This record gives sequence, C-alpha cells and structure tokens, in this order.
Amino acid sequence: MNIKKTSRLAMLTALSIVIGIIESYIPIFANIVPGLKLGLSNVIIILVLYNYNFKDALSVSLIRVFIIGLIRTGLFTIPFFFSLAGAILSIITMALAKKIKIFSLIGISIIGSISHSIGQILVGLILINKSIIYYLPYLLLFSIPTGLIVGIISQKLIKNMSNLN
Amino acid sequence: MKKSDYILISIIILICIIMLFSLKKTSKSNVALIYYNDEVILKVNLDKKKEYVVKGYLGNVVIETDINKIRVKEETSKRHLCSYQGWVSNSYTPIICLPNKIVIKIENESDIDTVVR
Repeated sequence: MNIKKTSRLAMLTALSIVIGIIESYIPIFANIVPGLKLGLSNVIIILVLYNYNFKDALSVSLIRVFIIGLIRTGLFTIPFFFSLAGAILSIITMALAKKIKIFSLIGISIIGSISHSIGQILVGLILINKSIIYYLPYLLLFSIPTGLIVGIISQKLIKNMSNLN
Repeated sequence: MKKSDYILISIIILICIIMLFSLKKTSKSNVALIYYNDEVILKVNLDKKKEYVVKGYLGNVVIETDINKIRVKEETSKRHLCSYQGWVSNSYTPIICLPNKIVIKIENESDIDTVVR
C-alpha cells in the first residue's frame, strides 16, 4: 500500500465517520419508521468499492463502525452490533453484486441498503426478540428509496471523482 | 439505471407486500397485561367493553378494552402518543406510554415463545 492510497483511504474513512455522525442527528426518516436513516456514509463505501477493492471497502466500513461505536453508541452494545452486522452483510452483498455485473450502481446501492436492514433484523432476532421480524417489511420497503438516493449520489460522485484521479 | 434494477425493485416490493400480508395474521389472544415500571400491575380479559383506570407516573391512565382489542383512552402526557395509537389487537405491537411508565401488551397464551440467549 503506497502513501497516496493510505492517505486517501484515511480521508475517506474520516469522511464517512463524519457523515454518519452528522446524519444521526438529522432524524427526518426516523419519524416515519424508527431507526430508519438515509445511510449517506454508504456513498463513501461504494466509492471505495469502485475505486479500490473489496478488502479496502471492508476495512473502511469496519473502522467506521468501530469509531462511530466508540464515539456515539459505545462499543459492544446492542446498537453497535446492529450496525456491525448491517455493515458487514451489506459490504459482502454489494461486492458480490458488483462481481456478477448484472446491476448498475443504483441497483448495487439498493442491494446494500436492503442487506443492511436484513443484517440488523438478523441480529435483532438473536439479541432482542423474535417478534422483531414484523419490522422487516417496513424496513425493506423504505430501504428502496434510501438506496436509490444513495445510489444516485454515489453515481454522480464517482463520475466527478474520476476527473480528480 | 438498467432493466435489472427495475426488476430488483419490483421483486423487493412484491416480497414486502407478501410479508406484510402473511405476517399480519393476528393470533387469537384474549388477555392483556399492564405493566408499570416493568412490573405487572393488572391482567385484563379482552372479552367485553370495559374501562380500567390505572395510576401512571404522571397521572391516571384510562384503558378501554373491547373484544380482542385494547387502547389507551385518556392519559396525562406531553404528546399523547399512546392514546393516538388507538386500538391494538396484535400481541406484537405493545402500547408503550413512556412518560407514564406504562406498557400494555396483549399476551398470547396459546403458543409459547422461546427466546434463546
């Protein structure tokens, strides 16, 4: 790993952490379904996934989850495990979806946001209660528009970032 | 956006609708438990129209029951979230009155839920 790549990835990680923290203070979507948010930091993860590789995207995502956990929710608490499971599952499915080359970037972003919800529900089933599964259809339904928004933003971002490189 | 993206979106919406309908089946249940501060203070049968008055943290909470459903009719709180919630007949949607520390939950006596921790 050369210095340029290291510093770029570090900046992107910092950016995703700041976006995540700022976003958690803006509860526009949480008024509709509790716990729902736009997931704008996923833009950064998609950007890393496209400009670098799966391993880098995974490490950026994990560092983001751990640092946000350290700052806001506390490490190894229930919300921390929610975001950890969501992040890991969404990054794996997004990488797979990118590899099979069927979907466009927007489709991959939707897949990421859906698998993020599914990962959270899976952890909820283990840690909280079985009845949390009743939450899944609402969460899935709302992860389509959020995934669309994130996908459109990251499409524009990747287009403009390629000029920088 | 590609064609496959639209197919993906429509498949997800379809799955959501199927899940909404299949999960909506309410189980037959006729007992509701009322918790104050995490302790059961009242067990009510949901078989007739009746009103109960429970003392909450901020004041009295008036709970109305009907056949297989329950609601909070009146309570003292800032936003009245639990009385706006209206009738509840599902054991998976409890009424939670946080300012009054009251939780109303319909208990399903027929099937036993096990939670493995």
